[in-house]
Amino acid sequence: MQEYRVLLIEQNRIMMERLSSVVKNTKGFQLVSRYQDPREALGQGGVFVPNLILLDIDILENIQFVREFVRAFPQAGILCLSDQWNAQAASTVVKAGAKGYLIKPFTSEELIAAVDTFGKSGMGMLSEIMTFFSPKGKSGKTTLIANLAMALAKKSGQNVAIIDADLQFGDMAVFFNLDPQSTIVEAVRDINFLSPITLNSYFMPITDKVRVLCGTKRPEFAESVSPQAFTDMLSMARSLFRYILIDVPPAFNPISVAAAEASNSVYIVSMISGGFEVKHTKRALDIFKSWSDYEKKVKTIFTRVEPCNHESQRRIENQLEYPISCIVPNEYLLVSAAANNGRMAVDIKPESPLAQSIDLLASRICGRQHKVG
Amino acid sequence: MDEEIRNGILITVFSTASAVGKTLLSINMAAELAKTGYKVCVVDLDLQFGDVCNYLHISPQKTIYDAQMAIQKNINEFVATDYTTVYQCKELEFSVVAAPLNLEEAYNISTQAVSAFISSLRNTYDYIVLDTTAAFSDLNLAVMDLSTIITFVGIVDFIPTIKNMKVGYDTMRSIGYEKNKIRFVLNRSNSKTHIELQDVEQLLEESFYHVLPNNFSTAIESIHKGIPLVVDSERTTLGRSMQDLVAKYTNRLQETSKPDASLSSWVKKLFK
Repeated sequence: MQEYRVLLIEQNRIMMERLSSVVKNTKGFQLVSRYQDPREALGQGGVFVPNLILLDIDILENIQFVREFVRAFPQAGILCLSDQWNAQAASTVVKAGAKGYLIKPFTSEELIAAVDTFGKSGMGMLSEIMTFFSPKGKSGKTTLIANLAMALAKKSGQNVAIIDADLQFGDMAVFFNLDPQSTIVEAVRDINFLSPITLNSYFMPITDKVRVLCGTKRPEFAESVSPQAFTDMLSMARSLFRYILIDVPPAFNPISVAAAEASNSVYIVSMISGGFEVKHTKRALDIFKSWSDYEKKVKTIFTRVEPCNHESQRRIENQLEYPISCIVPNEYLLVSAAANNGRMAVDIKPESPLAQSIDLLASRICGRQHKVG
Repeated sequence: MDEEIRNGILITVFSTASAVGKTLLSINMAAELAKTGYKVCVVDLDLQFGDVCNYLHISPQKTIYDAQMAIQKNINEFVATDYTTVYQCKELEFSVVAAPLNLEEAYNISTQAVSAFISSLRNTYDYIVLDTTAAFSDLNLAVMDLSTIITFVGIVDFIPTIKNMKVGYDTMRSIGYEKNKIRFVLNRSNSKTHIELQDVEQLLEESFYHVLPNNFSTAIESIHKGIPLVVDSERTTLGRSMQDLVAKYTNRLQETSKPDASLSSWVKKLFK
């Protein structure tokens, strides 16, 4: 097990004592040196060969030292400390090269969770949010999201989150057979008191890389989720996951609109079932036309396309007068059996046509060089 | 007859899952009620993506949005029937209140105006059928409050859907709706599924009021023709089953539907 050699910079004496004692009492962590002034740390800290720097940024000018610490201690990871979460500051320090952001005072558990979470990939400022919207519901999008999240994690090797924002009738917990202790309701309620590390614990783990923030347990709880707090939660989640997939309820409502606005891409998902799906998709597309970059941001997916081939895709594209990014074949029995058993994570075999078409979409998403911020 | 003040029966067609057949059921209930001689109106409350006009192939001149504008302007001068579109097929006719033409309008519909509109429709029609969306929205809750009957449509396809039906039913009970106000209708009963109807009834602690057979191709054909099943395809099992359902709502016993059942109950009474 790797030993963390900690260099602590904290201006406030009492806080410094408090944090020092937490570091010393955490297994696997050793406090090698501590300073009140970052300039002293830059000058003298090197002799102690730290590999983890905890830098207080409540003293605002300390933010500008992040870059110098990166240069002076290239082998060390830098975590910035603050007494409250500030998305703007977090984004600034991460761009300057810090690995993450930790709320102080922290506990041993939080310190360990922070190095575990940020150690792997760093705080993900390269995060990409995707919202999956279906005009009328029954589009196969929950299945699509569940499988796409798995595929993205496998291809990118990075953390992926699913957020079930279908507040009244979200099915993600059933799909993965979860009995969540915390849901989107609690995460959004608590958001003002959370930091990325504590928010992470509201997401239920599915695999090593994929986590789910489940929907409400009862429809009446949905009312307590305000769009503003929901957006705040999304911006914090950005620092934890490379990809965030949001499942929103059918039709436009304040939450689906907030999710779409916070997203890098919006996917309109519809199932071919002999009705007016194409017409509804067109109508939904119209709403996004007010976005200047809507042709880049808004994409369409059709499920249960039979036969699932280029001809079908072209035929629907002609009706729709808009490109389709992905078509998914009908695998009703396979999907319903997997959903019934809560085995979405394991039952859909990679060689099935369904998995293969979703895999193709995942490759395209991973291949996209996406710049954020 | 027209002078008589009516107090129309309000039937909300609701579900907790999408694509269970609410719209198809709504228009067929309306058509069958109209055939029986009642004055009927269907209101499309899937404001954003409503299909009632699509399924009937009609192009409305006025929508619910126009009605809202008129109500907000001056409710005393408001005439509800000015905002309906008549659907006609053979001798049968009923009225339709169309969903707004565009999404911005749909997004700005007020629950209050819709409630006022529906109350006003009650003075003209014997039956008003409300086609809704699968959500406990402000609007849906308001119209369910007003309704005589809530027809809760379900399909037994896979576990998440059934979970949501149960959660939805519990919610409706917890907000005070009487059991006999809610009628479960199961659609597509014999479709591909591994779940038994009895298991669902046990979970809901309720039995299905009516069960509609699976007849996907007939349903799709009716949608493409723009003609309700009960008009055009009386001979199909689905069309007949829809008629039976409506007969239960109007307390009109169909002579041909279940002669054995009526006989046995008569026999039972005799030997009591």
